[in-house]
Amino acid sequence: MIRKLVLVAASIALAASAASAEIARVKSSTGIAMVQRGAASLPATTGRELQAGDYLVTGKNGRISLTFIDNTRFAVGPNSRIAVSKFEYDRTRQQGSFITQVDRGSLAVVSGKIAKSGRDAMQVRTPNSLLGVRGTRFIVEVPK
Amino acid sequence: MKLRAVAAAAAVALAGCAHSSMVLLPDEDGGHGKVAILESGGKPTDAIVTEANSRATLGAANPSIRPIDALKPAEAALVSDLPPPAKSFTLYFPEGTTDITPESAPVLEELRAEIAKRPGAEVQVTGHTDTVGSDADNDALSQKRAEQILNLLASKGFDRSIMSAVGRGERELKQPTADNVSNPANRRVEVIVR
Repeated sequence: MIRKLVLVAASIALAASAASAEIARVKSSTGIAMVQRGAASLPATTGRELQAGDYLVTGKNGRISLTFIDNTRFAVGPNSRIAVSKFEYDRTRQQGSFITQVDRGSLAVVSGKIAKSGRDAMQVRTPNSLLGVRGTRFIVEVPK
Repeated sequence: MKLRAVAAAAAVALAGCAHSSMVLLPDEDGGHGKVAILESGGKPTDAIVTEANSRATLGAANPSIRPIDALKPAEAALVSDLPPPAKSFTLYFPEGTTDITPESAPVLEELRAEIAKRPGAEVQVTGHTDTVGSDADNDALSQKRAEQILNLLASKGFDRSIMSAVGRGERELKQPTADNVSNPANRRVEVIVR
């Protein structure tokens, strides 16, 4: 009985943490650097929390670097528009699914636990290609 | 089908100007992974980039993959802009308690220094126990251990909003043992600083 109650409490706690939905934090940014969330455009200041579906947008001299909760790391270059289209991560099982869409600009990636959790669990889409990330460091460039 | 044709046309149009590309780099520890090109120019491919320091030009049905000598300056700047890797710390506890061992006290100071030097830090605190006691008791104890460390960090001036604490009970033993075995290596809190 007690065990059951603990389980229920634990699952409520899990649900609560999922609802807060922090998936990454901005570590640094320079120049014009924004996080677009729906209609809102938020400055990509250090410590800014990201949610799934957010766009990272930079201007001519803009840069953003960030780290995700599965240890994936991003560096976004100037003149970029990049969406974190999908980010699902189970912290306990260390498994998930991660899709990034690079509409334009440049992105350096060091993949984290999601990429290790299953074949092509991490994917990067460009306007003319789809990449499956198999545990590594790489750069994607989409010139205007 | 129509959408697909439009996508293909768009891809051809894009391929007409500058090409998209992917550069595979060596990992920081010297090894390297792979990147599969699952689709290019709207068509599935089975190309896989397997060699570090190669550039794949994307968009054509058969993407070209070539070795490179050096990164372009803009690419090198991008790589140097990547955040540092996450760092993990472990603190240990005497049996049944939520007070760290004297040996773990210096780790707390290392932890404080590490968080302080990382702008925009995020801290994940995970508590564990050995197999002495019931599962329910150990879930509660591991949660208390994690919260104890979180409180210690908060008392050193770190904002609670950057930290999260979770208890894993005896589910993730550092040293696998039978049930009801006292084991100092398993009585721990792992702290990941990102």
